[in-house]
Amino acid sequence: MKKNIIEVKDFVKKYNKFTAVDHVSFEVEEGSIFAFLGPNGAGKSTTINTLCTIFDKTSGTLMIDGKDVTHEKDAVRSVIGVVFQEPTLDNKMTVVENLIMHCHFYSVPKSEVSERIQFALDLVDLQDWKKAMVSSLSGGMKRRVEIARSLLHYPKVLFLDEPTTGLDPQTRAHIWDYIVKLQKEKNITIFLTTHYMDEAEICSKVAIMDAGKIVAMDKPYRLKQQYTKDKANIATSDEQGLEALLNKGGFIYKKKTRYYSVEVDNIPELMQLLSEQKATITDLEIKKGTLNDVFLEITGKDIRK
Amino acid sequence: MNIIGALWFRNIKIFVRNRIQLVFAIIMPFFFLYVFSAIFKTDNITNPVNYMLAGIVITTVFQTSLTIASSTIDDIVSGFMKEVLVSPVKRIQIAAGQLLSAATIATFQGIIILFIGYFIGLKFTSFFTPFAVIIVMIMVGLVFSGLGLFLAATVKNSQTFQVVVAAISMPLTFLSGAYIPLSLLPKTLQYVAYFNPMTYTTAFFRTIILEKTALTTEELVGEQLAFEIGDFVITPLISMVIVLLFGLVFLLLSTLVFTKVDFSRINRSKNKEEDIWS
Repeated sequence: MKKNIIEVKDFVKKYNKFTAVDHVSFEVEEGSIFAFLGPNGAGKSTTINTLCTIFDKTSGTLMIDGKDVTHEKDAVRSVIGVVFQEPTLDNKMTVVENLIMHCHFYSVPKSEVSERIQFALDLVDLQDWKKAMVSSLSGGMKRRVEIARSLLHYPKVLFLDEPTTGLDPQTRAHIWDYIVKLQKEKNITIFLTTHYMDEAEICSKVAIMDAGKIVAMDKPYRLKQQYTKDKANIATSDEQGLEALLNKGGFIYKKKTRYYSVEVDNIPELMQLLSEQKATITDLEIKKGTLNDVFLEITGKDIRK
Repeated sequence: MNIIGALWFRNIKIFVRNRIQLVFAIIMPFFFLYVFSAIFKTDNITNPVNYMLAGIVITTVFQTSLTIASSTIDDIVSGFMKEVLVSPVKRIQIAAGQLLSAATIATFQGIIILFIGYFIGLKFTSFFTPFAVIIVMIMVGLVFSGLGLFLAATVKNSQTFQVVVAAISMPLTFLSGAYIPLSLLPKTLQYVAYFNPMTYTTAFFRTIILEKTALTTEELVGEQLAFEIGDFVITPLISMVIVLLFGLVFLLLSTLVFTKVDFSRINRSKNKEEDIWS
């Protein structure tokens, strides 16, 4: 059993009368990737900001690496790396100067500074840009610089608050490569929030937050098992025949304009059944349940402010 | 110490990289020198160019330190200060780095103007005067960096900040006697000038740089280096004490406010508040 690097118990955060986070408890295992999902205003950023020592809690206990987030701020700060939603780079300096400054802030031994900067720049493929002014970089590059910077002091926990929001698909894919590489190579625990459900699929554990509470928390595949059903879309030239067949097998189905949408618990069973009418089936598509379905199932389908 | 040094070096670098700012910072004072020394030739001042030059040097030091220290607001707005916030760095180290670099740059600009001033007639008879002048410039630089940092740490809205700084620095400059001799101002404004720390800074600095320390009180009053308020005479020495006290208050206040302020509080966009609370 691995140890828990983040432990949160009964965390409450209130802004005046508004309760942003309401009795939230969770643990994160060392070396895992933990994702916080939730609609806007669910309390994700409040939680991450409190864990990063920026906000003060209203009540509860929050521990990182055995240190109390409220009372041992400096100890916590030296073991965490943070990439915020909005850029926090020094625009007036070059990429490499930003990295050097970070090393000063975290008292990285002088003899290791250039080696660590090399490593971080290699990781995010920014060697060619190290002398460029930060203000001249694109949004995706800035994000990569921030990720590189957050690793220089070898944090045990890396917080990423929506690391890929607003980036193009290529950059998103790259950033995810870096994140997974990091977690595997350096055994860094990664705590992130995201809107993109497909990104959460690769995480070790996912917590879904809504209106200040954690409404579901488990491994992604278990959440999918619990909250979604696989679906099969079947097109046929013999509609009566198919309906009869599905009724015989006890499947729940809906007739759409050009195909039947069938809920499936056991895919082989359906295949077996369909093989009886092989000749009349013109198209078949199996849709696995996604975290997106889980998310919508749990948090509802209304658009949030 | 390492962090203070690194921040100091960063700010110096930014200053040196901004060449246009550098050139203007040197040209503008001489423009003022040319204009004002031609307009305000008063009889009781012996050497108007030197007198004016002294005022311009100290005003430059004042304005530069105020501007540079208050540019900390840019680092707060750009988000850079948030990076500092989650690092183990002590905020007082950041404040020290900002204050020291602002004072350094201000002193450096003062020295450049003095250097050029040397070629248009500014001469020192005592060997110690240049050193005393530099020490006073560093001191004044620190005093008004304190004011600048205080403003940057207390401002609520970054968009109106430039206006606030201008609204503070303009009257402090023009009601100090640095450009316009106080005797030429209307009586009411003269009284206002007595509440201006720059009035005392200018008087004290002029006494040092023009080597008037040996003058009698009446002569000092005549040259507007000392002020008679009722029966009480504010000599250059008392001026120095006033400036130091003012500086001490603002250095303490600015570091205090800076260590307490919430950097994520300033509105960066109209949705900012929602962003923080989501």
